[in-house]
Amino acid sequence: MDKLVAQYSRPQHQNESYSEQEQQDLTESLPPLSLKFSLPPVDNRASFLRAMTDDHSNPSCPIKLAHGTTTLAFRFQGGIIVCTDSRATAGNWIASQTVKKVIPVSRLSRGEDKPSNDPTPGLLGTMAGGAADCQYWLRYLSQQCTLHEIRHKRRITVAAASKILANLTYAYKGYGLSMGTMLCGVTPQEGPALYYIDSDGTRLPGNLFCVGSGQTFAYGVLDSNYRYDLSVEEALALGRRAILAAMHRDAYSGGFINLYHVKEEGWVHHGFDDMNPIFWKTKLEQGEFSNVTSEL
Amino acid sequence: MTSITGHPAGGEGIGYSFSQPTAAPVKQHGFYPYTDNGGSTLGITGSDFAILAGDTRSTSGYNINSRMVPKVFKIGGDDETGEGAQIVLSVVGFAADGNALKERLDAVVKMYKYQHGKPMSVSACAQRLSTILYGKRFFPYYVHAILAGLDEEGKGALYSYDPVGSYEREQCRAAGAAASLIMPFLDNQVNFKNQYIPGSGEGHALEAKKAEPLPQTHVEQLVRDAFTSAVERHIEVGDNLQMMIITREGIKEVFHPLKKD
Amino acid sequence: MPGFDFSNYNRNAALHARGVPLPKATSTGTTIVGCIYDNGVVIAADTRATSGPIVADKNCEKLHYIAPKIWCAGAGTAADTEFTTALISSNVELHSLSTGRDPRVITCMTMLKQHLFRYQGHIGAYLVVAGVDPTGIGLYTVHAHGSTDKLPYVTMGSGSLAAMSVFESMWQPDLDKDGAVKLCAEAIKAGIFNDLGSGSNVDVCIIEKDKPTQLLRNYEKPNERGQKERNYRFPRGTTAWLNQKVISKEDMKKYVTIETLSGDSNLAEKMDVDS
Repeated sequence: MDKLVAQYSRPQHQNESYSEQEQQDLTESLPPLSLKFSLPPVDNRASFLRAMTDDHSNPSCPIKLAHGTTTLAFRFQGGIIVCTDSRATAGNWIASQTVKKVIPVSRLSRGEDKPSNDPTPGLLGTMAGGAADCQYWLRYLSQQCTLHEIRHKRRITVAAASKILANLTYAYKGYGLSMGTMLCGVTPQEGPALYYIDSDGTRLPGNLFCVGSGQTFAYGVLDSNYRYDLSVEEALALGRRAILAAMHRDAYSGGFINLYHVKEEGWVHHGFDDMNPIFWKTKLEQGEFSNVTSEL
Repeated sequence: MTSITGHPAGGEGIGYSFSQPTAAPVKQHGFYPYTDNGGSTLGITGSDFAILAGDTRSTSGYNINSRMVPKVFKIGGDDETGEGAQIVLSVVGFAADGNALKERLDAVVKMYKYQHGKPMSVSACAQRLSTILYGKRFFPYYVHAILAGLDEEGKGALYSYDPVGSYEREQCRAAGAAASLIMPFLDNQVNFKNQYIPGSGEGHALEAKKAEPLPQTHVEQLVRDAFTSAVERHIEVGDNLQMMIITREGIKEVFHPLKKD
Repeated sequence: MPGFDFSNYNRNAALHARGVPLPKATSTGTTIVGCIYDNGVVIAADTRATSGPIVADKNCEKLHYIAPKIWCAGAGTAADTEFTTALISSNVELHSLSTGRDPRVITCMTMLKQHLFRYQGHIGAYLVVAGVDPTGIGLYTVHAHGSTDKLPYVTMGSGSLAAMSVFESMWQPDLDKDGAVKLCAEAIKAGIFNDLGSGSNVDVCIIEKDKPTQLLRNYEKPNERGQKERNYRFPRGTTAWLNQKVISKEDMKKYVTIETLSGDSNLAEKMDVDS
């Protein structure tokens, strides 16, 4: 019996060098976006990963991952407003103040992040949670959406795109992915559509979402001022104001305000602006934030 | 008895209002595959060049493994000397992971050149490095990588990464042990954060100093000053400074001595 | 109440159990050494104080006075070495006053070990005690838990292995004063360059029979700070401000009395200030 077992089981580290297939993969110069991930040689992989990378449950973990923070999107009569901050934190360290948390999905070649008045067709995704998880999987989604467009000769619906992502996060449930993303777009089939997808596998259609550690502050502003029949100018101002509130009160949000408007022809970028002058403008001209003073 | 708070219900001894640790501590992992080898790296770009630098000390605990372990590598060069390379990678954190990552990216960039008959662009290499890092999302490379080169327009390009591959193009970035010492200096001296133009206005009208690409000699001085300062205050940084200067003419590698205590 | 105040002990233990980290005490990494020679004893130390991987003080003083001819080099928690030596110094002075005799190194060492043993290692002081007394030359190490050693050459701290390697290869039984000082400095430098917890300069203290004790502060400076290549002086008006309030000397006089000191400015130790 032992002989049989030995015959069919092999020691864990028998294949020290790369296998034929792995060597092939290594030399493959096209990014394969395959779903093959290398895994640690332990029984409980999720808890290993948590011990190494989760700074929430283990503040002294060796690998601090960059996390994204306050993002919002809402539907109104003129389309969808998407607005985010730009701070990435790793533990208590501000890793970056210039993160682009709005990621164009589909039409990779046209997803250039230049301010322009011409709408760019395609969907927008937002990034909260693990920065790498969002960047990688939204890129994967872009690929799938572009393939869909080529196969079916029409653009993918937001419902279908969001379902690809939700199925994916559900398949990886328990592996330790961390992402809270909103997908927005306007398609002929569904009109303006907004979906929330997270790493638990949740997928929700809705009119208004805020995601991230500063979400409560943004909800506070948004809920008290939101109406469906907001004009485009009002809606842009509201999105900016809600993010400003979150950046002001949440230590893990800050940097620049990144503002997008999604309409029928595509999305339009409305600036990537430093929050500081905007904050003082809001305070001095609108008389808000009156608790902040420079009195001595 | 079940308890939703997770406290042992009832209990004797001193009554704390919160749960006390039980006698047996939570079982720790026996599997710890990472070591922090210390050191620091930094990169700054200009209008027609990019500089990547790192110290050459390798540490573990209070010991110095070696005073000459380079952290900055040429990627996609022809042979051992790295001749013909146009991209530079710096890795700091766990040296073994860093080395494995460098070897892997180097192989990929070379294969690209052989298969397509042209060198890989920096932006493509940057995206590929991200996918390589993310491929080990569940068993990460314990490294902070910075990639530098010249973009299609000949401008300096610098990309910085977290351990699992989230990346961003930036003007400047410090990574590693002394990142928290060097990065604020760079924010102030490269992007002129917290600097205003004297006399440009009163109170809120005061104009912020605009960031613009710096000349090469200026940047080289900033890099050396950043490291001589980091050496003063961080015990894991020292011995030698390795600098790779990427221009249209190629990559120049220079070493400077740093304090050895 | 004299002695230590334990009133926050239970609170801190409870907070620590809930995952609140304890505050970091300065310095555990150090190299200290001592070596006897024909007519006295030499002790030496590096001058780096660290807080985790950050250098907290580049030129601190780790050689402590106990009595005119008894000095002590301290490694471990900076505050503990400072206060333990000060306490023992005070008690040694009182003891010598009441006995009318010069203090002995062994008395001092015994007082230290009894004090440290009582606190079961919670006082993190690792010491090298050295001196000359009527009975001869004394050189001891005292560990935080209370154990002691008496040896012709000793090292302690995180750089002790590097320093000991110098002693083990170069020490001779018939050293003279110069040789002992040079050997100690060499041992400290081995710690400075090979142990990350030690760095900067070498301090030396020479205690010799029938001669006044010499404290050679910064006996060697092998790690001078280099010149910066750029000038980081900002033009006036670079920093933004929203409001200002001027407090004149006259206003201040309502709250404090201001005395302008005269005298030799060279007497005071200069602080390291960037130019």
